[in-house]
Order: sequence, then structure tokens, then C-alpha cells
Amino acid sequence: MRRIRILLADDHKLMRSGLKLLIEQQQDMTVVGEADDGRQAVALAKSLKPDVVVLDIGMPNLNGIEAAHQIAQTDPAPALVMLSMHSDESYVLRALKAGARGYLLKDSAESELIRAVHAVTEAKSFFSPAVSKVLLDDYMRKLQRSGVEDSYELLTPREREILQLVAEGKSNKDVANLLNLSVYTVETHRANIMEKLNLRGVPELILYAVRKGIIA
Amino acid sequence: MLAGFGGLLILMVAAGLGALYSLGELHRLQQQVGRQFLARSQAISTVVLSVHVYNNRVEQYLLSSQPAETDRAATDMANRVAEIHSALHAYPPDREPEEQRLLNELEKQFGEEDHALASLETWNPRSQPERARRFIVEEIVPRRLSILQISQQIALLNRERLDAADRALLARSDQLQKKLGWMLALALGAGLLLSFASIAYILRLERQGRERYRELEESRRNLRELSARLVDAQEEERRAISRELHDEVGQSLGALLVDVGRLSAMVPSENGAMQQQVQRIRSVAEQTVKTVRDIALLLRPSMLDDLGLVPALEWQAREMSRRGEMEVEVHSEGVSEKLPDEYRICIYRLVQEALNNASQHAGAKNATVNVRQARDRIVVEVNDNGRGFESDRVRGMGLVGMEERVKRLRGSLTIDSQPGKGTSMKADLPLDREEVRAGYEEDSHPAGRRS
Repeated sequence: MRRIRILLADDHKLMRSGLKLLIEQQQDMTVVGEADDGRQAVALAKSLKPDVVVLDIGMPNLNGIEAAHQIAQTDPAPALVMLSMHSDESYVLRALKAGARGYLLKDSAESELIRAVHAVTEAKSFFSPAVSKVLLDDYMRKLQRSGVEDSYELLTPREREILQLVAEGKSNKDVANLLNLSVYTVETHRANIMEKLNLRGVPELILYAVRKGIIA
Repeated sequence: MLAGFGGLLILMVAAGLGALYSLGELHRLQQQVGRQFLARSQAISTVVLSVHVYNNRVEQYLLSSQPAETDRAATDMANRVAEIHSALHAYPPDREPEEQRLLNELEKQFGEEDHALASLETWNPRSQPERARRFIVEEIVPRRLSILQISQQIALLNRERLDAADRALLARSDQLQKKLGWMLALALGAGLLLSFASIAYILRLERQGRERYRELEESRRNLRELSARLVDAQEEERRAISRELHDEVGQSLGALLVDVGRLSAMVPSENGAMQQQVQRIRSVAEQTVKTVRDIALLLRPSMLDDLGLVPALEWQAREMSRRGEMEVEVHSEGVSEKLPDEYRICIYRLVQEALNNASQHAGAKNATVNVRQARDRIVVEVNDNGRGFESDRVRGMGLVGMEERVKRLRGSLTIDSQPGKGTSMKADLPLDREEVRAGYEEDSHPAGRRS
């Protein structure tokens, strides 16, 4: 069986070696490279072509977000998992916009990294439960404060289904196949969802889904 | 300077008084000389007149044939003699030797005449007219002539004396004039000297004043620079400590957590006591990570460096909301992601301070933050619905610090508040740096973002 090839980028050696030990314990994973900073991570991602890059969000010489952005442009693009100390949505949204689909809090990295790596290799999203909780709480508070009805209620059951699938990382074609619809119909549904929820782009859609607890 | 002016004044007053005194003296002397001349002239005229009358009487006495007339002449003669003596005595006493000699001679001549007359007692002129005529010719006429001569000499002397006195007066007046001239020159010289000294002194004062003003300006500028540097240094230190905490302590704790996680996986699940112990270690480490992260964020929000100003402000707003302190809305317009650090940190701290004041002191429940960047300026506004305060009176340390930061960027800060009407803060920061403009133009299609 082919092992998942992983590039670890974290300026902190202790953290990196801990994560490396964790990964090496897995039979289906291997660490193919380690980077001290963002620039090195970009270079190694290009030369090693790993399946997954685990990036610390705050690194010297090009921070994790910028590095993720550049790595996501490479072809084939590896799946990206961000490591962060922050559960705030501004970080999460930035990470999503940069192309990351996994977002882990460092506190819980040891118990969640393996699951996150598995999720992103299957083109799914993964967020630390603590992050999801913070996002959901913020969202609920905001709804309550503004008195606006949750726009999720405006979605039809079919739209909700499609929202979840897109948030999980499925392409329009995948969704069409799964639901037995035409790609054109899926596209229309997607546009309606974005319109109703006032969202711009997939990252915001994913963030919304995480807030709502639709995906983990 | 004062002594100089005083001296000059005293000098001038003294000169004036001296001149006045000298003039008075001169005038007095002139009058005295005139008076004396007059007195002498009068005395000598009286003598001459009296001698003349006396001689007439003597002639009358000697030549008259009527006894009554002779008697009257005799009486008158006696009167004239007394008159002549009194006139001679009345002659002013300050006589010169020559004058005295002439006077003595006059008195002597007169005395001789008198003496000669006394011989008349021995004979009667009426009975001997021939002898009488001879007597007149021999005794009276020469004496009369002599007396007149002497009188004339005295008058001449008197006139000479007057002339001499006039000359002396003239000399004194000349002297006075000269003295006055000197005084004037001295006063003028002293005045000139004093003026130069005054000008030099005033110039020096002026120079010193300018010097002092310059020093004051410089020390003020230094103070401003110092306070700006203090703000910078404080930020720098906070950033360093925050980074140290985050990178070293935080990361080590993170690594520890990873290790504890692996340890926990290695502990057989049936060993409950050990599992519990590992869990305890994990929760303590997690708590510590959280504390360290909070402290680091308080010192320096890493969002400011990682994500930029607006995400950091939005984070701050959510943090306040999470803590249940206040609901904060953040609106931004055109804010460049490449805003220089000093602007980012300034705005961040301004908003932080304003929001803290609003929630902690004013009891506000809602606040809005507005950040707008235009081509040449960035404007920050924070409005809350708190109790407000009298903005004219309250000037807390926090506000001073805010003003300091705004001044540092040559901006202006206005805080408007009234009891019961909430508080609004507005900071207007000019952006005149090339890099800011460049940064602004680079992302010239910034999407309005809402929290």
C-alpha cells in the first residue's frame, strides 16, 4: 500500500520532531521532508511533491498563510493542513482562502493530526473541534445580537445537501454524480446558496459550514 | 546699566545746576560791580559838588560886604564841611591803594584848606578886602583846583576799576561758557558711551533670549522625540516579549502536549491510574498554553503581523463579544494590507483603548469601529453607547497615551463625549509616505469587509 508522503513545516524543532514521531508511528504515513520556514517549505513542496504539507501558520521568512498560498499554486497541488495557535475566524478564513482544507489547533495536534491528514487526502475538510466550536459560538452570538434569522433556514433540503457536499470538498461534477443531477443544475443550486447566504467564494462557504457544524 | 543712566542723569543735573549757579553768580557780581561803581561815582560827585559849593561859600564869606550874608555863608560852610566828610566816609570801603592815596590826598588838601580858613579867625576879611582877595587867589583857588584834579583822578580810577571788573566778568563768563561746553561734551560723550553700552547689552540680551528660545524649542522637540521613542520602545519590547512567549514557551508547551499525547497512546487503557495521571498533565499543559497565548496576544496581537490591521480589529471585536463585555462592529473601507507597522499598531492601540474605556468605564454595550483609508489619510472612528463623560474635563492617562501615539504620526485626535450621550473618538492620520501610497495603489480594488 502506498504511504501518504508528508512535508512538515514548523520553525519550532521540538514541535516538529514530536509531530514526526507521531506520523512515523502510522503505517500509512511517512515524513519526506522538514522545513524551518515558509520559503523553505515552498521550495521543498515543489521539489519533493508531497501528498500533504503540514504548515505552521506563524513562521519566519514568509508566514504559513503566504507559503500555503504559493504551495497551492503548484501542480499537482498537495493537500494543506495548517497548524495554528489561534481559533479565530480571521485566521481560519485566511487559511481557507490560501487553499488549506485542514485547520488544527496546536494544543490538539497530536490527537487530530492523523485524522486531519486522512481527511485532506480524501479532499475533505477538517477543523479542530475547538475551532468549530469557537466559530459556531461566534456565529450564534452574532445572529442573536443582530436579530437576523439564520439564513440557513432559507435553504431548501436539496441546497443544504449540496452545501454540505461542496463544503466537504466535492467538485460540481462529484456532486452531480452523487445526487444524480446535471452539472448545470448543481451550478445553479450553488449560485443560489451563495446568494442566500451572502457568501463570496468557497472559503467563506466552508467557513459557514464549519460555523453551522455542517462539517467537522 | 542703571548706574550708567543714573550717573548720566546726575552729571547732567549737576552741570545744569552748576551752570545756573555760575550764571547767577555772574549776574550778582555784575550787579555788585555796577552798584559799587555807582556808589563811588556818587560819593565822588558829592565830594566835588560839596567842595565847589564850599569854595563858593568861602569866597562869599571872604568877599561879601554884608555881615548877614557872611554869617549865612559861614553856617553853610560848616554844613558843607560835614557833607564832604560824610561823602568821603560814604565812599565804598574796598579801596585800592591808589584810590586810598588819592582819597587821603583829597582829605589832606581839604584839611589844609580848612586849616587855612581857620586863620581867618585872626583877621576880618571885610576890613581887609585886599588881603581877602589875595587869600582867595593864593589859598582857595589852587586847592580847589587840586581837589577837582584829585576828584577827577578818582573818577578815572573808578572807571578803570569798572572796566577791570567788566573784563573780569567777561573772563568769568568766558570761563563759564567753556565750562558749559566741556560739560556738554562730557555729557554727550557719556551719553554716547552709555548708548553704545546699552545697545551692546540689549543685543546680548536679545541673543541670549534667542539662544534660550532655541534651547527651549530643542528640549521640547527632544521631549516629543523621547515620548515617541518611548511609545516605539514599549511596542518593540511588547512585541519581543510576546514573540518570545509565543515562540519559545508556547511552542515548547505545544511540543510537550504532542509528547503527552503520544505517551497517553502508549499507556495501556486498562491502567486507569496512569491514564488519569497523563490526562492531568495534559490538562495542566493545555491550561498553561492558553494562558501564555492570552498574555502574548495581549502584549502584541499576532494577527496584526500575520493578517493585517482589519482582521486584528475584527478579532479584537470578537474577543470582547466572547468575553461578554460588549458587541463591537467593525467596518473598514480601502484599508491597505501593506499599511506600515507604526500605523497598524497606532490604530490598533487607539481602538483597543477606546473599546476598553467604553466597556470598562462607560458601561457601553455596543460600539462601532470605522476605519477608512483614502489616498492621503486614514481615519479611525470609534463610537459607543456608554455613559459618556465630560470630554473637557476628563483627561486620563489612557487619553494622553492615545494623543501621544496620534501626534507621533502627525495626526489629530478628537474625543467627543457628553454625559449620557456616549463617546466618539476620531483620529485622522495623514499618510504622506511613498510606501503607503504604493501599498495603497497596489491593492486599489479592496473589497469592503464587514465583521
